[in-house]
Amino acid sequence: MAEREIVFRVTRYRPTAGGRPTFQDYRIPVRDDMVVLDGLNYIKDHVDPSLTFRWSCRMGICGSCGANVDGRPRLTCGTYIRDLGKRIVKVEPLSNFPILKDLVVDFDDFLNKLASVKPHIIRKDWGDWTKEYTQYPEDLEAYRQQSLCINCMLCYAACPVVGASPEFVGPAASALALRYIRDTRDEGAAERLARLNTKTGVWECTFVGECSVVCPKDVDPAGAIQTLKFLATQRHMRRLLMPGAR
Amino acid sequence: MFWSLFSAGGFVTAFLFPITLFLLFFAAPFGLWPSDPAAFAAFAARWAGPLVRLFFFVLIGGSLFHGTHRLRYLLIDAGIRGPALEALLDLILNGIAVVGTLAALYVVVRGWFF
Amino acid sequence: MPNEYPARRRSGWWLRNPRYFMFQMREIGGVVSALYGLVLLNLLMQLSAGESAYNSFLTTLRTPPVLYLNLVFFGFVVWHAITWFMLIGKAQPIRLTREPLPWKIVFGINLILWFVVSGAVVYLIFGGM
Repeated sequence: MAEREIVFRVTRYRPTAGGRPTFQDYRIPVRDDMVVLDGLNYIKDHVDPSLTFRWSCRMGICGSCGANVDGRPRLTCGTYIRDLGKRIVKVEPLSNFPILKDLVVDFDDFLNKLASVKPHIIRKDWGDWTKEYTQYPEDLEAYRQQSLCINCMLCYAACPVVGASPEFVGPAASALALRYIRDTRDEGAAERLARLNTKTGVWECTFVGECSVVCPKDVDPAGAIQTLKFLATQRHMRRLLMPGAR
Repeated sequence: MFWSLFSAGGFVTAFLFPITLFLLFFAAPFGLWPSDPAAFAAFAARWAGPLVRLFFFVLIGGSLFHGTHRLRYLLIDAGIRGPALEALLDLILNGIAVVGTLAALYVVVRGWFF
Repeated sequence: MPNEYPARRRSGWWLRNPRYFMFQMREIGGVVSALYGLVLLNLLMQLSAGESAYNSFLTTLRTPPVLYLNLVFFGFVVWHAITWFMLIGKAQPIRLTREPLPWKIVFGINLILWFVVSGAVVYLIFGGM
C-alpha cells in the first residue's frame, strides 16, 4: 500500500507550564487504511512519546478516543485519514471541556450530569428478586436507540448551548434519561423529569441538532430532548387540568 | 406552557406566513399578481369574514409567541444571562407576546360587538 | 485542579460550521416573523382607522428601501418555514405511525402540505386571484 506524508497539527497543553494551548506539527507517513488514532499512535511510538491522548478499544465502542478532528467532534478510531482528504489534519481536544493535557479533557462535569438523571432502573419496590421482569422485543425497541450511547461526549463538544452555559444537563444525559423513562421495568420517570424539567434541563436546548449529527451511534439526542420537552409539557398540562394527578 | 404556544406558533408562521407576506407585500409592487390583494377596498371587504379575522388573529398571536421565544434564547446565547436578567427578559418578551395577542384580539373582535 | 485550561466558547462559533450558521439564521427568521406579526397588527389597526391611514402605511411599506428590506426579511421567513418542516420530522414527539418515519419523508409531506395550505389561503382568505 502506498505511503504518503501528511502533517498532523495537534494541540499541546502542558498543565505544569500553564499558558495557552499551542499547536505542534508532526510530519508522518500514512497509509490508506490508517485512522486518525493510528496517526496519533504513530507519533507517540516513533516521534514524540510525550503526546497524551485517551484511547482503548480501537473499534468505536469504548467512547474514549473522541477529539475535534478538523474542527468537528469525531471518534479518532473511526475516522480514516484518507476520508478527510487533507494534507494537514488538525486534531484538537473536544471543545466545551477543560483541558487536562494535550488531547485529554476533564469530563467530571459530564459524569455529574449523567448521575443527576439517575441512569439506572428505578422501582418503588423490587419485590421478589427471583422473579423475572419480562421484556418483549417491542419493549426493547422502545429504548434501544438511546441505549446505544457510549458516553463518548462528542455531543457535548458539538453543542453550542453547552459551550455557553455549563450548567445545561446536555444531550447524552438527556437521551439516557429517556432510555430509562421508556423502559417498561422502570418507575423513575417523575424523579428524572424533576431534574430535566428545569431551566438548566431540557428547556435550555434550542434544537441546534448538531449533537445528533456528530453522534457515532445514531442515538439522536436532539430528538430525545424534544420528546422529553413534550413529555414534560404533557405532564404539566395534565396537572393543570386534573389537580392531584401525577 | 410557553413552549406549547411557541411550537403552535412555529406551525402557524411556517405554514401561513410566507404566502401571506407574499400576497400583501410583494404581489402587487413586483407585478406578480393580477390584482392587488392588499388594496384597501378589497382588503376591507374581505375583513368582514370571520374566517379572515380568525386567520389574522392566529397569525399575529402565533408569530409573536414564536418569535419572542426565539429572541429570548438568542439573547441568552449572546450573553444576557443570570437569574435576574433572564427573569426580566421573560417579563419583557412574554409581555410583548401577550399584549400583542390581546391587541390583535381587540382589533379582530372590534366591529362585531362594539 | 488549578492547572486545567478552562473551556470557553469562541465568540464567532456560529460562523465556524455551516450547520451552526443555518441554525442561527433559522432563529433570526423566527424573530423576524414576530416583527411581521407586529407589522400585520399595525396594518389591521390602520385598516380600521380608515382608507387614507391604511393607504399611507401601505405606501410606506412599498417605498423601495423598505420593500427591499422586506424582501430580505421574507427570505428569512421562508428559510424559517423550510427548517421548521425539517425539524418536525426530526423531533416527532407525537407519533402517528408505529415506526418513526424518516425525517426526509416527513419533510416532503410537509412541503406538499405547505403548498396545499398556501393555495387554500389564497382562495379562502384572499379571495383567489
